[in-house]
Amino acid sequence: MGAAGSKLEKALGDQFPEGERYFGLENFGNTCYCNSVLQALYFCVPFREQLLDYYTNNKTTGDVEENLLTCLADLFTQISSQKKKTGVIAPKRFVQRVKKQNELFRSYMHQDAHEFLNFLLNELVDILEKESNAAKSSPDASSSPEKIANGPKIPLSNGVQKEPLVTWVHKNFQGILTNETRCLRCETVTARDETFLDLSLDIEQNSSITSCLKNFSSTETLNAEDKFFCDKCCSLQEAQKRMKIKKPPHILVIHLKRFKYIEQLGRYKKLSYRVVFPLELKLSNTVDDADSEYSLFAVVVHVGSGPNHGHYVSLVKSHNHWLFFDDENVEMIDESAVQTFFGSSQEYSSNTDHGYILFYESLATSSKS
Amino acid sequence: MMQHSTGNSNGLMSTSTTNNNNNANNGQSNGSLKAYFKTPEGRYKLQYEKTHPPGLLHYAHGKTVTQVTIAYLKEKSAQLPLTPTSSSSSTSSGGGGVRSAAARLLGSANGSRALSFVGGNGTSKAGSGFNPYSHNRINSSSGGSSASNMLSSSNFDGKGTYLIFNVGDTIYISDYSSQDKDPIKSIHFSTSNPVCHAFDPEAKDGHDLVIGLNSGDVYSVSLRQQLQDVGKKLVGAQHYNKDCSVNSRQAFEQKPSQNWLEKDRYNHHVVLAELDEQDLHRSGVIELLEMGYRSRCASVAWVPEGDGAFIVAHADGNLYVYEKSKDGSGDSSFPVIKDQTQFSVAHAKSSKSNPIARWHICQGSINSISFSTDGTYLATVGRDGYLRVFDYLKEQLICGGKSYYGALLCCAWSMDGKYILTGGEDDLVQVWSMDDRKVVAWGEGHNSWVSGVAFDSYWTSPTSDGTEENVMYRFGSVGQDTQLLLWDLVMDELVVPLRRGPPGGSPTFSTGSQSSHWDNICPVGTLQPAPSMRDVPKLSPLVAHRVHNEPLSGLVFTQESVLTACREGHVKIWMRPGYGESHSGNSESALISSSKEKPLILNKVGSSSYKQQSISHPT
Repeated sequence: MGAAGSKLEKALGDQFPEGERYFGLENFGNTCYCNSVLQALYFCVPFREQLLDYYTNNKTTGDVEENLLTCLADLFTQISSQKKKTGVIAPKRFVQRVKKQNELFRSYMHQDAHEFLNFLLNELVDILEKESNAAKSSPDASSSPEKIANGPKIPLSNGVQKEPLVTWVHKNFQGILTNETRCLRCETVTARDETFLDLSLDIEQNSSITSCLKNFSSTETLNAEDKFFCDKCCSLQEAQKRMKIKKPPHILVIHLKRFKYIEQLGRYKKLSYRVVFPLELKLSNTVDDADSEYSLFAVVVHVGSGPNHGHYVSLVKSHNHWLFFDDENVEMIDESAVQTFFGSSQEYSSNTDHGYILFYESLATSSKS
Repeated sequence: MMQHSTGNSNGLMSTSTTNNNNNANNGQSNGSLKAYFKTPEGRYKLQYEKTHPPGLLHYAHGKTVTQVTIAYLKEKSAQLPLTPTSSSSSTSSGGGGVRSAAARLLGSANGSRALSFVGGNGTSKAGSGFNPYSHNRINSSSGGSSASNMLSSSNFDGKGTYLIFNVGDTIYISDYSSQDKDPIKSIHFSTSNPVCHAFDPEAKDGHDLVIGLNSGDVYSVSLRQQLQDVGKKLVGAQHYNKDCSVNSRQAFEQKPSQNWLEKDRYNHHVVLAELDEQDLHRSGVIELLEMGYRSRCASVAWVPEGDGAFIVAHADGNLYVYEKSKDGSGDSSFPVIKDQTQFSVAHAKSSKSNPIARWHICQGSINSISFSTDGTYLATVGRDGYLRVFDYLKEQLICGGKSYYGALLCCAWSMDGKYILTGGEDDLVQVWSMDDRKVVAWGEGHNSWVSGVAFDSYWTSPTSDGTEENVMYRFGSVGQDTQLLLWDLVMDELVVPLRRGPPGGSPTFSTGSQSSHWDNICPVGTLQPAPSMRDVPKLSPLVAHRVHNEPLSGLVFTQESVLTACREGHVKIWMRPGYGESHSGNSESALISSSKEKPLILNKVGSSSYKQQSISHPT
């Protein structure tokens, strides 16, 4: 471990970024799903900074009960405050907390990294919302009220949300999709907004993320048994439906649906399709044609041929260097090595390392602290 | 219907037999590919497939991407080529009286896996050539065959069309006109993988093939000499950038950049393997190896009318100009690049130096370079997503612009030098106008990255009456979506905002005459930012066809065919409508001589056959 650390330090030399820490995470038996996501989140700099900010602001208010948020903040603090630049840390308390909180992750079975990410982000949001509610009820408010006051940039016009509380987790990851349905009889367009923390995309063999996003937003015709109830026509009508991105998130998380339920087999199967992802991406399926540009900074990679076993590693871009995190091990890789994780154009291939969750950060400066 | 030679089991013409034969080749076992595709002018039919020998497992498969280069070897003697008779009698003939120095002995008629060279007159210097027989003829004389036996049945002088492609650590050379799937020659590189190559059809003598390696090493050779040699190594090669002297010096003088760390998880064995080749007394080199620094070659090109000059573009954003006539032993140091973000040209201090110049183009890799037909302009595309166009002789940046997003991977000029195609990671085929100095169209149709683009310079519009009014271009693109797309570009149909007049004028317009026009919009030497999606006119493909099972990496138009190559080393030759039955033997000299003319003047034979086809196959 120590040797590996020094090797990385040697590789970086005087290029080692000031104040940055590159630490591997110990595996407690099939916890690589957790480790890979944690590394991606740690190197999501706005998220990390806001988590640490929040934590330092809140610690002063006395003993907060341990929850997933405090455990995550503890872990990130532990990493960032290490004296050494590289090494290994055991995320023991965090993992214990995860297992306590959710029985799904309690076993030693192979888990889905995307499910974990989803669980974690939603859990953080819940904790923040609860704290905010508690703070509202008690006048000595402590939980960063200025952030709530900022509110969402784009108000939800036809608000489906029960309350427009926007936490810093939302500010980083939340985007808004709009589901436009056009009745083919009266041409009325009905738009319904929904929020998302990540986009789950269907994938095809030998395609690109751009193409998957296009398919995601492609126009779908509702007819036959799947007609649309038009409020204006007061009846079921044929309609055209499409999804557009109304508000692109600051951190765009794209989940590739590599695990597909095969009905004939009665089980999930891993799709090893080659899906290329560029280091820079623009969303063109937006409502206002904004061409917002993103830069790839982390990839959670699933290693293995099936859905129920295998391994997770992550690729992370930090200060213009690409790093490869495999539990305890951290290595430098060349940018061009990212393309070895695109997938395979053949069904049976020795290469089973496939990009599974992609993290893009918007280049438009907004919520960066 | 295409002719099969007797007892032919290569079965390239039909999908089913193709699949049967291809089972040994990974990635070709999918049966859903068609052996033809339709266009308005008729069907393009799959004529031949070329690939590496079956069962070949490359340790580095997938690491290096196959590129394909087409090479027309001119005949050395003055005799005219004969008209080919039938497919079974093979391809090129003519040039009697020249000795064949090497002949091929094939193991069996149908497998043709074992191939080796017999006959050892490798010392012949008289431009003797290689003999691409069809295999059944060889087979008929193979029992106890000798070189002289072969000679008696051939008057071949080395003229012919060859495909050069790289797979793993090997360069393969295939006979374009033969049905044989297997290459006629393989050249192994023990130390590193060849990744790019270029052939100079204009080479009067000496070396005409330049090969760039993943390690950064560069070789120039004579293709003919390779074909004459029986071994599996390069022969008569000149070695440039040995030990990466060019790059290493740069690396030492320069503050370490991102490229220093180019490395290791994937390259390390390459570095180690080359250690024993190093001159260990050169301490700098040892240190360099420890750093793991290699700047791989990305693209090579001969300078048109360049008198044997060629250019090698590297992954570190530099390109180097070499002269094949010069020995590379001189001091080849270049000054430190002061600003990595700025274009700069440095000439070698020593007149003995080879390379003679270094151009620093950009940060990050250059992915592809291309000269305009007359050699006036050089286009580069790279990791940073910019197309850059330089006046080659003046060493000046003329214009350029950013992709919609992501890296650009390929570029190609129209024959008249008015347009440049680029393709890249935004899945778009971009049409750049030299007159307008900006993007004039985006082709939407690929479902993945665009890895190869080319204008079809042999194509003429079926409706064209020869006047310049309705200028129309045909071009093609291939992508990692395994598709070949064909496009028509009709300038009148594009709504181009800010366009000044029709695209006219000389293809070699001087920058001075136009610049006054454009100074306030886009001065010479400035790069345009990425256009917005709504500002660029869109094109839709004329034809979209899935041609391989693997992501594609290359596209070449010839007079009678379209060539597609996939990353894993399979090449397919699609015959144009009307060319299916004939053979290429009689067209090569026409092809070479006309390759520098404008598309509209090109190949009247080709255009008339299109007209026929478009009537008989209205699609």
